Amino acid sequence: MAEVILENICKTYGNNFNAIDHLNLSVEDGEFLILVGPSGCGKSTALRMIAGLEDITSGSLRIGGIDVVDMPPKDRDIAMVFQSYALYPHMTVFENIGFSMRLAGKPKAERKKRVDEIAKTLQLTSLLDSKPANLSGGQRQRVAMGRAMVREPAAFLMDEPLSNLDAKLRVQMRAEITSLQKQLGVTTIYVTHDQTEAMTMGDRVAVLKGGVLQQVDTPKRLYESPVNAFVAGFIGSPSMNLFEATLTGDDLISGTFAVRLQDEAFIRRPGLRSYAGRKVVFGIRPEHLYDSSLESGRKYQTIPAKVTSIEELGSEHIVHLNIDAVRVDSGDPDAVEDFGRASNAVAKFEPVSTVRSGSEIQLGLDDVKLHFFDPETHLAI
Amino acid sequence: MTRQKRSHHKLKRAVAPYLYLSPSLLIVGLLMLLPMVTVIAYSFQNSAVLRRDPSFAGLKHYQAIFDDPVFWASLWHTLYFTCMSVVFHMTIGMIFALMLNSDRINPTLRNVLRVLYILPWLFTAVIIAVIWRLLLEPNGVVNSILMQMGIIGSKIEWFSSPETALHAVTFANIWAGYPLFMVSLLAGLQGIPKDFYEAADIDGARAYQKLIFITIPQLMPIIISISLLDFIWTMQVFPLIWITTGGGPIYATEVLSTYTYKLAFSSYNLSQASASAVVILLISLGLTLFYIRYQRAR
Ligand SMILES: Nc1ncnc2c1ncn2[C@@H]1O[C@H](COP(=O)(O)OP(=O)(O)O)[C@@H](O)[C@H]1O
Ligand SMILES: [Mg+2]
Repeated sequence: MAEVILENICKTYGNNFNAIDHLNLSVEDGEFLILVGPSGCGKSTALRMIAGLEDITSGSLRIGGIDVVDMPPKDRDIAMVFQSYALYPHMTVFENIGFSMRLAGKPKAERKKRVDEIAKTLQLTSLLDSKPANLSGGQRQRVAMGRAMVREPAAFLMDEPLSNLDAKLRVQMRAEITSLQKQLGVTTIYVTHDQTEAMTMGDRVAVLKGGVLQQVDTPKRLYESPVNAFVAGFIGSPSMNLFEATLTGDDLISGTFAVRLQDEAFIRRPGLRSYAGRKVVFGIRPEHLYDSSLESGRKYQTIPAKVTSIEELGSEHIVHLNIDAVRVDSGDPDAVEDFGRASNAVAKFEPVSTVRSGSEIQLGLDDVKLHFFDPETHLAI
Repeated sequence: MTRQKRSHHKLKRAVAPYLYLSPSLLIVGLLMLLPMVTVIAYSFQNSAVLRRDPSFAGLKHYQAIFDDPVFWASLWHTLYFTCMSVVFHMTIGMIFALMLNSDRINPTLRNVLRVLYILPWLFTAVIIAVIWRLLLEPNGVVNSILMQMGIIGSKIEWFSSPETALHAVTFANIWAGYPLFMVSLLAGLQGIPKDFYEAADIDGARAYQKLIFITIPQLMPIIISISLLDFIWTMQVFPLIWITTGGGPIYATEVLSTYTYKLAFSSYNLSQASASAVVILLISLGLTLFYIRYQRAR
């Protein structure tokens, strides 16, 4: 059990590419920290540096208080779960899980005891004699977990361990890994590009973009107070709507509509007044937009919108809309560009909503839930 | 009418594959099966080929070669030659493949070595035989180097002394044959996922443990396939030995192929030669069946 502390970690690859730029991160003992970001942002690089599979260009790394920068992976007391699982196809499940003990020359009886114990925890007992090729995706995933658990390491490192599973199994394994981590209480750093995984699994989430750490916070704080437009857009699904508008007095004006801001908005953000008469970026999450013809949406001020398409998901309707405002790009390269010319906003409506594609509606907007960002720096105001 | 048409079409579809196969079947039949059957027939005849109406000999010729100490010596030499060749082809091929695959060696040097190591493959058996005859001549390069280094005191007649001849031809054959192993194993090495080694690094595996627990098991299918093939091929080697030593001195390098050749074309005892050829055929056949069984099991 140990805390993992990264100080000013940088990574420059052989081709002079800066994959990680001054990364500072401290993971507490027993904490489940998620490292999330779009693909290519350097998550794997960061994790592999912690594991010792990649050299650290500069900075300091301590695991359990010990400086491990110059230590080979095996001495760092960590275990890693690979995206591919890296199970040895010629070994049985038993041999795979017991591999590190075998390398360490532990007697067979001791190995058997420990592997049986782990197999029981992971419900793999009946599969111990099978080869990985004969296992399902979820079972392989569990074997990979078992191999990491066997040595009782100070920290688990996991690199997108669920990305090879189908959607249903992923949800199930998400819960399994989370409860297993709580049960074992081992410090865990978990890499994913999937913000849903990040939000549902981690004690804290670190958001990375282009090798630069953006924000480290609890899922709730990330959702409620993103530090910049990127985090705002990256966390939450569908993404937060971001638009440009002009702040005039207490009104946010864009095109033909105005949104009246309450005093509280200015009290909570002392800097906002200084944008008076200037452009500002405002954000609103799809779940804070309402169908004003429904009871739930009646109390909010409205802006005119045109419905372009609707995805009925049963529990909710994802409604694509067009409003009279200029959309702002959050800077997430993975964001699906589903905004054709027709639509520039997304809302989540209750399934009782009867809006139809093509109709002009009044869109309810919960102004308390608005986010504001600087139009140049994209930093939160 | 339509039904007739349809059944005609069906027949055509059924026959077509055999039509495509027929040329190759014909060639295999004419050039391989026919001679094979003929040789088997010869081995049971008295004075085969030499006489118009050879009489049936039963197992007489087999008896004769089994009673011939030279046959047993040849069999032993063949086994020694083959086993040593396969084992060293594998060992050298593996070492070179591991070297070429290691990223601790400078990439430019690796490319140079790759070309260098593969050179023996470019030569035909005849050229290899000539090269080694020159190198291993009493006044050749090898002797002079070994003497300079003080390893040997006097010039050794590698190919013409009974003590060294068999080792010398085996050595030449090892030199000639390892590149196939090296290339196959290198391809296999490059196919092993990097993750396997990284996971092992984290688990604390030493270099030799990675070799034993990951590399070799991962290469096993290749190792077994090419070893069996090499065994089958090397068993039948003829030109290299024929040109370097001709089976001599005094049968010291006689192998089954040279033994058979001499029976046929020096002694004109084609019946016994056929019997000896059938023995080679049976051994090869056994190995081939083993190989096919292994291939099918995978
Ligand atoms: N060995 C390498 N050499 C050069 N560039 C690399 C290497 N490995 C990764 N990169 C680059 O570093 C960036 C981050 O990679 P990675 O950490 O794998 O991203 P992620 O895991 O977040 O998708 C990518 O742009 C990738 O192309
Ligand atoms: Mg990655």
